[in-house]
Amino acid sequence: MSVWFEQRLQDCGPALAMQGPWGDCTYADLARLQAAIRIDLQALALDGPAVFALVGEHEPAAVAWLFALAEAGHSVTPLAGNLAEHPGKLGEIGAQWIVTSAGFGWTLLPRMSEPSAHAAFGQLRTQGHAGLVLFSSGTSGRPKAMVQDLTVLLSTYQDRRRNRLPVLALLGFDHIGGLNTLLGALATGSTLVVPADRSAAVVAAAIAHYRVAVLPASPTFLNLLLVSGEHHAHDLGSLRVITYGTEPMPPGLLPRLRAAFPRVRFIQTFGTSETGIIRTESPDADSTFIRFVDPSTEWKVVDDELWLRSLTQVGGYLDARDGAGKFTSDGWFRTGDKVELGPEGTLRILGRLGEVINVGGEKLMPAEVESVILNLPLVLDCRVRGEANALVGQAVVADIVAAPAADHEQLRAAIRNACRRALAAHKVPTRVRFVAAVSGERLKKIR
Amino acid sequence: MNMPTFTRDDAVKLVLARLARFGQELGQPALAMADEQTRLFGEASPLDSIGLVTLMSDLEGDIHKACGVWVTIADEKAMSRLTSPFRRVGLLADHIVEIVTATRA
Repeated sequence: MSVWFEQRLQDCGPALAMQGPWGDCTYADLARLQAAIRIDLQALALDGPAVFALVGEHEPAAVAWLFALAEAGHSVTPLAGNLAEHPGKLGEIGAQWIVTSAGFGWTLLPRMSEPSAHAAFGQLRTQGHAGLVLFSSGTSGRPKAMVQDLTVLLSTYQDRRRNRLPVLALLGFDHIGGLNTLLGALATGSTLVVPADRSAAVVAAAIAHYRVAVLPASPTFLNLLLVSGEHHAHDLGSLRVITYGTEPMPPGLLPRLRAAFPRVRFIQTFGTSETGIIRTESPDADSTFIRFVDPSTEWKVVDDELWLRSLTQVGGYLDARDGAGKFTSDGWFRTGDKVELGPEGTLRILGRLGEVINVGGEKLMPAEVESVILNLPLVLDCRVRGEANALVGQAVVADIVAAPAADHEQLRAAIRNACRRALAAHKVPTRVRFVAAVSGERLKKIR
Repeated sequence: MNMPTFTRDDAVKLVLARLARFGQELGQPALAMADEQTRLFGEASPLDSIGLVTLMSDLEGDIHKACGVWVTIADEKAMSRLTSPFRRVGLLADHIVEIVTATRA
């Protein structure tokens, strides 16, 4: 069970495992936290694997819990933010226990719930493996929960060579990319640097302060870093590698980044919640084409869509409707990503085939925004879509059919404020247009 | 028909008026006190990235009302400038005048 983690805790004892707003945490500190958590888990006297929700960010207690639960063969659902944001998700996963972490501390709460009878959990129990549940944006606007084999996922980090290059955590603890950053950092015995927030100013200050060498980021973040000028305001000379993924690299940005960071190597990454992160290489530094070089993953392109089959792919969706048509009977995952084939086995990600809107690497479905807007009395109908935007990759646009009496300027502000109250910031429409009619029947308002 | 010239002064007024309205929407009345030197994006700025994109979208509507042309403020040229036009109100006004003039030509 995650042998490499035990080995790292022993080998790297006094070395820094994590640095962030809560202070410094060594590998020995993580080992102590894990020992205390084992005692808490034993005290629960569980008679078999249980489902835990782990509410927190990249922080020592949350990381120690993740590995302690994996070691004990439980299933864990990382949830970012605070507990009050997730009542629906807790119900869907059938969480029996909730851990909320804060820095080095945690609170363990029981939750009245029957053990989940889902087949994906049953299979994990049979194999004696731990599980990982991740949520991603669903086509209906409802996040979809996927169950993954955590034991297998952890094993793919087994053979990483030690490098001790500090890595910055930009993507969240509940995101496959964020987990990959965390596991990659700990598997190589290096330090995970966690910024207090993800703004360009704070991230640039953290890179300078902690001498970060590896920055995994989205093209949008890198664009905003250049636009904000924060790369001039702080000494980012410690950076050696910038990896980018989660959305296509817009034309023109990579040359600008290479000019701004001439000593940095740029590497494109690729992954999905369904298949995990896939190791890639680029034909050359200026190319936005990639080649998959991951022995655990097969790929092919069908009708311009990328299909993947990987060792670390999810065992299933908790709600079977979410999985309908996503996986073929022989295990291929249809990514929904439109790709272009290049020379010598390379490919380039062009965008999404479906409706998912990708704002700076954070995804959303139009329906979740439409359902908020349609509740406003002066809105007769609306349609939400993405449009290309040079600052954030894609921006959210809402086309509104307004009641004749509506003052457009006031209604525009009211629409955005309703979305700000109900939705994450990246889902708030940046452009609100008033139109005579919208096409399609997705969420026709019933009056 | 010749359109009246769109001056830098017009552009500054447009940006400041929109900032003030946007401040009302966000409950940040301080945005009404902005001037040419006010930082729009980056350290100590009032806007996050989504706020900046929103402001640009609204400004594009304002420019259309004022000049009769649709422009894209955050275009590839804006992105590749050595000094980003999104740093300060004055720099943004310079950029707007340039793209409005180029679009009308």
